Amino acid sequence: MDNHSKYTQAFVKVFSVQKDVVEDLEYNAISAWDSLGHMGLIAELEEAFNIQLEMDDIIDFSSYKKGLEIISKYGVEL
Amino acid sequence: MSDNKGFSLNCTQLLDYQPNRYPFLMIDHIEEVVPGKYAKGYKNLTNNEWYFPVHFPGSPNMPGALQLEALAQTLTVAITTLPGLKGKVTHALQHMVRFRKEVLPGDKLIIETHVLSWKRGICKGVGVAYTGGELACEADMLIAIPEIFEQYLPKKNSTIG
Repeated sequence: MDNHSKYTQAFVKVFSVQKDVVEDLEYNAISAWDSLGHMGLIAELEEAFNIQLEMDDIIDFSSYKKGLEIISKYGVEL
Repeated sequence: MSDNKGFSLNCTQLLDYQPNRYPFLMIDHIEEVVPGKYAKGYKNLTNNEWYFPVHFPGSPNMPGALQLEALAQTLTVAITTLPGLKGKVTHALQHMVRFRKEVLPGDKLIIETHVLSWKRGICKGVGVAYTGGELACEADMLIAIPEIFEQYLPKKNSTIG
């Protein structure tokens, strides 16, 4: 599985959504992406890519698209 | 209290680390806590517990929700004894509990909780409680210190829930 697919799969797994809807997801836009869901997503991505996100990046991680930029900063090619 | 040595908390000392008060404090004594690792304690249940007359008349037993509360409060102590967290308020995020037997007046509810992870204000842990040497209830628990946890949320609508 390539990194982009792993990234998408994290959203699918944590929020129990279909793959074709994840690109438009934003924090609090669906009930599953609440505060607890946010922490679950961050933990899932950290494990998937073996990275440790900085606090500011966790706060800025407000959408699927924004997350692509953030994860890329950690040397993950998406 | 920042090393890995265990210590106990009597009913008065406990109040520094557990913000709940009567009638909702569900622990009498912490026999051993290793901050960030585990906490073990107990609650002696007398006939005078406030819930026995109403749960239920003629058949008193400790409400399951309060058994879970006892587990969560004990797990909280394993976290609030970490450096800088004394007296912090915790919230429940998600619990999965299983009840095994009735907990009755006169029982001693012995509680053991373990921290599985503690990260960014969220504690994942497990707990079990016994009466008369038998398992009474067990739970997987997720608790948070909002003051820490909420610092990591995107700014819009950044409240628990």
